[in-house]
Amino acid sequence: MNNAILHARGLIKTFLSGDRRLAVLRGVDLEITAGESISIRGESGSGKSTLLHLLAGLDAPDAGELKWEGSPDTSATRRALFLGVVFQSFYLIPELDALQNVLMARRIIGSIGAAERGRARELLARVGLAERSHHLPAQLSGGERQRVAVARALMNQPRMILADEPTGNLDESTGNAVIELLLGLCRETGTTLVLVTHNAAHAAKCTRQLLLHDGRLA
Amino acid sequence: MPWYLYLAFKQLFPTGRRFPFFTAISVVSVMLGVALLIVVLGVMGGFGYQIREMITDTEGEIQIKARGLISDYRNVVKRVEAVPGVAGATPYAAGMLMVQYQNKPAFPQMRGLDMTSIARVVPLGRFVRVGSLDDLDDDAVILSGGLADALGARLGAIVDIYTPLMLAKKDGAIILPRTARVVGILEIGHQQLDSSTLYCTLRLAQDLYGLDRDVHGINVRLQRGAREDEVAKRLNAVLPPEVQAFSWRDSFADFLWVLQLEKNMMMFVLLFVVLVAAFLTMSLLLVLVLKKTREIGLLGALGASRRQIALCFCLQGVGVGVVGTGLGLALGFTVLHFRNEFVRAITHLTGGQELLARFYQFSELPSHTETRDLVLIVVAALVLSTLAGIVPAVLAARLKPAEALRSE
Repeated sequence: MNNAILHARGLIKTFLSGDRRLAVLRGVDLEITAGESISIRGESGSGKSTLLHLLAGLDAPDAGELKWEGSPDTSATRRALFLGVVFQSFYLIPELDALQNVLMARRIIGSIGAAERGRARELLARVGLAERSHHLPAQLSGGERQRVAVARALMNQPRMILADEPTGNLDESTGNAVIELLLGLCRETGTTLVLVTHNAAHAAKCTRQLLLHDGRLA
Repeated sequence: MPWYLYLAFKQLFPTGRRFPFFTAISVVSVMLGVALLIVVLGVMGGFGYQIREMITDTEGEIQIKARGLISDYRNVVKRVEAVPGVAGATPYAAGMLMVQYQNKPAFPQMRGLDMTSIARVVPLGRFVRVGSLDDLDDDAVILSGGLADALGARLGAIVDIYTPLMLAKKDGAIILPRTARVVGILEIGHQQLDSSTLYCTLRLAQDLYGLDRDVHGINVRLQRGAREDEVAKRLNAVLPPEVQAFSWRDSFADFLWVLQLEKNMMMFVLLFVVLVAAFLTMSLLLVLVLKKTREIGLLGALGASRRQIALCFCLQGVGVGVVGTGLGLALGFTVLHFRNEFVRAITHLTGGQELLARFYQFSELPSHTETRDLVLIVVAALVLSTLAGIVPAVLAARLKPAEALRSE
């Protein structure tokens, strides 16, 4: 518990479907220690993304408790410093170039100076996009966009990265490259990674593999 | 720069080759509304301003009148000129006459001018089109342009003048008219005054109306910057009780009220154009919020607060308002600058330039924008544009990040 970066106990989440209440998560217990990489697999509709949203504090559970580094504070301000997020659909802001998209993570929590610009450029270089920092998302390929999203997730030096099927919109080889990059960068920086994926091979690369089944983690 | 301001600016004016269609449509709609307000209120204000100029140019800023006649006017003029703020005062006599030239009669208004003091108060010499004000003596008259045209009288013509006083002569006396030489033709630029006015010396007017040494009133010119209402008050404090000073605003209060009412109504109606532009901006921003639902979810995931997300969209409404208002002011003042060219072009195509001048009393389309109107237009446009941004902003702020990210 002392080393736990994230602690979740008894997370329950239900959704209203017509006049029926559908239980997606039926009591998820999860404890993640710093520096781990965890994969969460499960069938479509098993609630993987819902669980990730709960862990990221983007949604509130119907019941259960969530703590980040021992604190129940999962506010937006704390999330910006504690978490980095990567999504299947990249979600880059189309009006901003790659560099500005990476910097946006920092702008939200404070001002931008030369140091921040330098770090964003360095991150883009690390993901192999040093030459494309001034390209708009529309001018980048899918793999390149996801690499920008990875750089953005790392911009604030978060303690943990939550990645929701980051290879879902990419071909196999590009997807593999992105996963290697994500795992490599997290390993280098000591950042904890929670990877939600369908892909068994990608899941196997993580230090711990979990399966979400019937609303519970196994 | 806060991120919401930065992103609002970037979404309004994206870099690269992307044409900001949303921005252009919204900005143009606000711009047209503001420009329309500037042009219409400028022209309406111009009419008011021109009328004020016409009144003060021909009668001074203050008129002094008595219930009957003003006797011992020299003493009254002396007292008036001693009051602070007064630049000069001139007595006048006025009334209706019949003028005849080569069997053509006309019934103009007579204005008897004191030639020793008129120049200090009324710049009539400026409006003399033919002849000279200096040639005006007790046997001469100056005709307004319309009157001269109606009579067919030119410079040097001898006209016969009949006054109501002549009707009082009974017992079979033959009524002999007073004859006078036309020494000038004058055009002020106001149709009503230019159509039928006869100017003569005060002595001739007193003679024609049997006033002896009395006058009908005194026109007062103020020093630059003096306020007519304040000076009128000061004058009333020193004038005899039977004589009263009225500012031009008092004298034309009803007319000015109607003019102001028309202007206010026009502003009220035209503000709806800006209101429609604000609704257009709001609907386009609502579309933008729906289009960017997932991005809003992402901003939440990156740590943006609801207030900041709301500000991001609200500021886009403000941005549209600021740019649209700025361009609207530029367009409005440009159109006002070239207004007479536009009018000439339109009347050239449709004919009737003279009719226009006759109907609207002015030969040129006037323009005068008051600071108060300008401030009101700018504030109204900015407030409405900001309000237009509030509804989409609230909608964006109410989106829950998880639901926004899940949206299709």
